[in-house]
Amino acid sequence: MKHPFLLLLFLFGVLRAGAQTTISGRLTDATNGENLIGATVEALGLGKGNISNEYGFYSITLPSGGDSVTLRFGYLGYEPAFRMVKPAGANIKLDMALQPRGEMLQEVVISANSLEEKVKSTEMSVTTLSTRDAKALPALFGEVDVIKILQLKPGITAGSEGTTGIFVRGGNSDQNLIVLDEAVVYNANHLFGFFSTFNSDAVKDLKVYKGGFPAQYGGRLSSVIDVRMKEGNNKEFDVTGGLGLIASRLTVEGPIQKEKSSFIVSGRRTYADLITRGINMANEDNPDYNPIPDYYFYDLNTKVNFTLSPKDRLYLSGYFGRDVFKFQDETFNFLFDWGNATGTARWNHTFGPKLFSNATFTFSDYRYRIRNLIQGFSFNLGSNVKDANTKVDFYYQPNNEHTIRFGGNVTYHEFDVARLKFGSDDGQINFESGQGYDGMEYGLYFADEWALTDRLKVNYGSRISAWQNDPAFYWNFEPRVSANYAMSDKWSLKGSYSRMNQYVHLLASSGLSLPTDIWYPSTKTVKPEISDQIAIGTSYLFRDNILITWEAWYKWLQNQVDFIDGAELFGNDDLEGELTIGRGYAYSPLELEIEKKDGRLTGWIGYTLAWVKRGGFPVINNGEYFAPRFDTRHNLSIVALYNLSRKWQFTATWVYTSGYVSWLPMGRYTFQDVPGAPFQPVVPVYGARNTFRYPAYMRLDLGIVRKWKTRRGSEQDVTISIYNATDRRNPYFIFLDPELETIGEDGGPQVEIPTGIKAKQVSLFPILPSVTWNFKF
Amino acid sequence: MKSLRYIFFFFATLVALAACNLEKEVDIELPPYDRQPVVECYLEPGKPFRLLLTSSFSFFDPFGLDSNFLQKTLLQGATVTISYDNQVVTLNNIPALETNPFKIFNYTSQQIVPATPGIEYTLNITLPDGKTVSGKSTMLPLVPIDSIRVEWNTDKDTLARMLTYITDDQSQENYYRRLLNYSSLDSVPDQDFLVSDRISTTKLIAFGTGYELAVGDTVFNSIFHISRDYYNYIESVQLAVFGNLNPFAQPSPIKSNVSGTGNPLGIFTCLVYDRDTTVIMR
Repeated sequence: MKHPFLLLLFLFGVLRAGAQTTISGRLTDATNGENLIGATVEALGLGKGNISNEYGFYSITLPSGGDSVTLRFGYLGYEPAFRMVKPAGANIKLDMALQPRGEMLQEVVISANSLEEKVKSTEMSVTTLSTRDAKALPALFGEVDVIKILQLKPGITAGSEGTTGIFVRGGNSDQNLIVLDEAVVYNANHLFGFFSTFNSDAVKDLKVYKGGFPAQYGGRLSSVIDVRMKEGNNKEFDVTGGLGLIASRLTVEGPIQKEKSSFIVSGRRTYADLITRGINMANEDNPDYNPIPDYYFYDLNTKVNFTLSPKDRLYLSGYFGRDVFKFQDETFNFLFDWGNATGTARWNHTFGPKLFSNATFTFSDYRYRIRNLIQGFSFNLGSNVKDANTKVDFYYQPNNEHTIRFGGNVTYHEFDVARLKFGSDDGQINFESGQGYDGMEYGLYFADEWALTDRLKVNYGSRISAWQNDPAFYWNFEPRVSANYAMSDKWSLKGSYSRMNQYVHLLASSGLSLPTDIWYPSTKTVKPEISDQIAIGTSYLFRDNILITWEAWYKWLQNQVDFIDGAELFGNDDLEGELTIGRGYAYSPLELEIEKKDGRLTGWIGYTLAWVKRGGFPVINNGEYFAPRFDTRHNLSIVALYNLSRKWQFTATWVYTSGYVSWLPMGRYTFQDVPGAPFQPVVPVYGARNTFRYPAYMRLDLGIVRKWKTRRGSEQDVTISIYNATDRRNPYFIFLDPELETIGEDGGPQVEIPTGIKAKQVSLFPILPSVTWNFKF
Repeated sequence: MKSLRYIFFFFATLVALAACNLEKEVDIELPPYDRQPVVECYLEPGKPFRLLLTSSFSFFDPFGLDSNFLQKTLLQGATVTISYDNQVVTLNNIPALETNPFKIFNYTSQQIVPATPGIEYTLNITLPDGKTVSGKSTMLPLVPIDSIRVEWNTDKDTLARMLTYITDDQSQENYYRRLLNYSSLDSVPDQDFLVSDRISTTKLIAFGTGYELAVGDTVFNSIFHISRDYYNYIESVQLAVFGNLNPFAQPSPIKSNVSGTGNPLGIFTCLVYDRDTTVIMR
């Protein structure tokens, strides 16, 4: 045995092996060579089938001897392909390329996996999205964003209006493991969360696990958002792009060596700063004019892949993005920039028809920097988190009854926390603060999806994770199990349990995601966060094209990290003194999704009824439980796409959310303060946390897509989006506004006293139409 | 493509219809709130013992400009004493007004607060309903302004900035409050912020302004040497005010340094500061 670790697997397979033939290979898109993830292969008449993994690799084992068998290869949105094979004992390698259906307006795909596969799978609490879905739906400012589409799925709540923050099944926003080609993205936002870092032209699809986490994932409590970049067309060159209201995109992809290697480069940039610079230049001579600061963001995705041999494939991909906010005049030079950089190198190796491996190295970096230079003085503030991760994953299919995954990873983390330096250039005055940490995170996992009977499938496994940050060392056992019992071909019952640990924590001073939020490691004081989640559910396929999924779940959260009231984040070398540790829980008796994915009308309805609580923090709310901001009781979303013809498509989304929870003051007093200080006629007195619920949020978005093909063969479309089509004033925040009147004589002492208080609601977006032109040459 | 033209026309109409009125009044109900006594007492060396005792209100309680306004706000009829060095000073329920800047107190004494650093003062209040309020504060040493430098902008020589320097005692943790008023002490301060020396690596601390001062401007420059309690209190007041108006800010409950069965809010602190008044000249 060349590889010792294969011994166990060999035995696993051999124990069940009779005379068998294994057919394996890759499933790809015939037009561009992209791997098809989750495509099905089925041996007709034998009741045996399987699906391709995240690299398009599939394997199916058939009894040897007997007649030829017809294999059917399928993937939603693609023409099925059939191949006759003769299982004669020798293993067969069979790569298949599937042809997409239709010419222009393809059947709209709501998720990459077929509905039937969803019914049969042990996976539950999973949502898959392709960028084709996102591109058809109406978007804020016309800027397509896959993360915002996720917010329309049940169990996932948006942080606030228009932003990409997501809260999954009662988890905090930092409890989502967001990976781009397996590299962690620490802050997946642009423009304070109004746009995500994922350029829809570069992203192929994404998969979200809300529960029932597979053992290969760890490190966050509440979800895994696995974003895959496109590989690049390995058959022909393509140029795609789009012009929108706030940003433009351009993507170039093509073969390096036809059908063996390819590349993709995709960029996006906003251009509001070009307009504001013009306005500033036009007002240069106006002494009363206050220049508008520059703001822009950009991102760049690149990927190359090489087929090194029939058994080896290499992928290299990277992302770099920055938001930049700057202002400069004669005496003032201010810069605030932030962003992510990620890099991934992956080597796929097929050991044989039953064993596939993937070795990965990833690098992640998130940083922000605030710099201000004033003559003679400088101010610098920044934070940075960096990861270097090595991991290896094996995918082993000894027979049709078992699909085994195992592997491990080691991650080196480096944190530079709230590094502040302020002082005079001559060094006479100097303030400095900030902390540096590092840590090692380890993971080992094993999981087996086992078809116990024709009706019962179980996916059992575990992950052992560990964290080392001297002198702190933690290790945890994380059992994972999920099961599917098929009541019939169209109806299944499911259940799952999973434990997750989180060793890095986001210290956020508000309920909203800000670039200055700080990532902080587990230490002796700040222990790893832990979650346990159980879920039960059922999936029913109605009329072959409507999938009804119901799930109920309960989640326990331990070692939750929050700030004490009035915490000082910056200029503080004792950050842990500002933290407090508590608990939490969330549950839902009803998380319902009804999906329809073929025909002229497609879409889904999602509804969640859920409760979320945090508590047990010794210095918050006297230790009592309270609802976090995102504890919205009812979430209902309806998404509809209607194909009128190959050229016209109409889309609509409607969202209803119970109001967000807010912390409003209960009382007030007047504070005259010391001589020279401002008299405060109204000082709010805050009592118990988050006792006020905003009015409900409701929004209708509409979209129209018109596609055409030019005489030269290029494909183009114009997408019109109307965000908040009913022009409803949804609450963004509510504040209590005192009305003040000055009393006292002219020339004598005067004082402002309050004469009344009004509650005022501020909305963010009225009706917002937008238009985007997209092209593909 | 004719249909596209109609769509663009429709689109343009919608743009025109996009309303801008994004703020509106709403009716909301807040949880019930029990009024609390509010203490404001600054022991300023060389000035009489004075204290302002008021009541807080439920947020939507009606206000009024009538003569009852002060009566409703001032909490009268309490027994107030401040003790230090075996002396007990009784503050009588006699109002006192101070002008320039305007301040009001409803419990006063003729006795003068001594300037000796290190003296610990204890406040005891018995409210009309028998409930109590108490607090402690220690007189801190004055941290004087070392020097003030006026620097003229090299690009726009009609504007200057002011740099104010103090020397910090690095052997202990110190907190400062900086106030900067233009024209008069009654004006809304141009600067009002808190500083801790916890992260200072040099003895010298500078407070600056932007290049915004012109010849003839009067600048009131105050540096308060404050206790950690006062620092926490002012910070919590600022966060409470800011948190109500800014959706990105996390509000804070008021961090008072007075306690007792009266469930009070407020601050009882010694007040030590150096103030300089400068008229900008070439």
